[in-house]
Amino acid sequence: MPINYKTGIINEHKNVRNHSGIFDVSHMGQILIENNESYLHKLEKYIPLQLKNLIKNRSHYSFLLNKDGGVIDDLIISNIDIKDKSYLYIVYNASRKKEDEEIFISCAPNAEKIYNENCLFAIQGPDSINVLKNIIDIPNNMNFFDILISKYNNSEIIVSRSGYTGEDGFELSVPNESAENLITDLLKNENTMLCGLGSRDSLRLEAGLSLYGHELNENITPIEAGLSWALDKERLEDKNLNGNKILSDQLKNKLSNKKIGLISTNKSMLRDGMMLFDNNNNEIGKITSGCFSPNLNKSIAIGYIKSEFNTDNPIFCEIRKKLELVKINNLPFVKKNYKKNGSVYE
Amino acid sequence: MSEKKYTKDHEWVSIENEIATIGISNHAQESLGDIVFIELPSVGNTVKAKDEICVVESVKAASDIYAPIDGEIIEVNNNLENDAAIINQDAENEGWIFKMKISDSNQYSDLMSEDEYKQFLEQ
Repeated sequence: MPINYKTGIINEHKNVRNHSGIFDVSHMGQILIENNESYLHKLEKYIPLQLKNLIKNRSHYSFLLNKDGGVIDDLIISNIDIKDKSYLYIVYNASRKKEDEEIFISCAPNAEKIYNENCLFAIQGPDSINVLKNIIDIPNNMNFFDILISKYNNSEIIVSRSGYTGEDGFELSVPNESAENLITDLLKNENTMLCGLGSRDSLRLEAGLSLYGHELNENITPIEAGLSWALDKERLEDKNLNGNKILSDQLKNKLSNKKIGLISTNKSMLRDGMMLFDNNNNEIGKITSGCFSPNLNKSIAIGYIKSEFNTDNPIFCEIRKKLELVKINNLPFVKKNYKKNGSVYE
Repeated sequence: MSEKKYTKDHEWVSIENEIATIGISNHAQESLGDIVFIELPSVGNTVKAKDEICVVESVKAASDIYAPIDGEIIEVNNNLENDAAIINQDAENEGWIFKMKISDSNQYSDLMSEDEYKQFLEQ
């Protein structure tokens, strides 16, 4: 996947917000794990969900957790039937394949990696449904985070209504032999285009979504990352879950850091790794992701600051040895546009 | 105006009456991608060749711009303050960044010609 295609990051970004765009995310991990009680029990040591109770044809955003409750990876886990057999279908980060697969295989020795046989494409943006409907059967009542098996060119493909841009959209896991045809068919719509990693990053940042290696790593828990909504609270009482005590304590007590959104007050660009200061020059935090926001026409960032810092006070970011004033902005920067119960909701 | 010359840092320089006009090459703007902001140099500063004197920010990264030769900054392209994308549209004309009064024209002669720069890019 390139950083961008011919027309550039900003154009790709706007096309996704206004029409649709297609991302080839085949580099990501995809694995099928048999829906077997003993496997699920072992996986529940790492995954903070009640895996036995996952609703069929639904996806969940979750994590693999280490012993301290730190995030080994973030992932999407779904319960689907393929050829009359029940599976957990997990999509995970390319950069974490080694760590994740070690865990998956240790819990379920016959887990089946499918990313060598299946490409993964995402079509994102308000027009996605219309572009896709011409090619694949999509039921009208399919909501965000629903997942199903559909047919394309006699191939079975996994279709989930999900994505990483804050827009309505779909992810399609398609056998390699049908992949090129599928992309060609999608691109017949003249308002869609291929999009690269650059716009993928600016779109997810505007939507306030976390990126592994930036907002998430093994030293940050989902609660510290502001993602406690994704944890099954009953599982935090379960000793079988890695870091369960640390996590339930964190839920009850004040955290030392909090995740914030920032927006630049001039045209300076906020970038990963830049340090944040209060007006007495005390270091108060750090940016974990930054980019230019085409929708806001300003630079935006996500970072962590000390919880005790009063956000009514000014915050400065060190940009090339100068301190520049930045403003706190609630996350997300741009309203989400997901589909639920037949209508688009935020 | 004299022949346009290029540096290994992908800047172009042209000279008229001992005043050099400097920008980044079309190749440089292509590889930077969408340019969103430029921090212009300060007029009146005396700089030496290879000094970092300003910064171009694209959606991908920040890139330093170096002085191609010794001299004094006498003018900057203020249009870029409001619309740095001019560099993407016309890097080697309207997208000029600053002008310098040069002190040593030999330094200019040592820079690459357009053909030499093309060869340099192919290496």
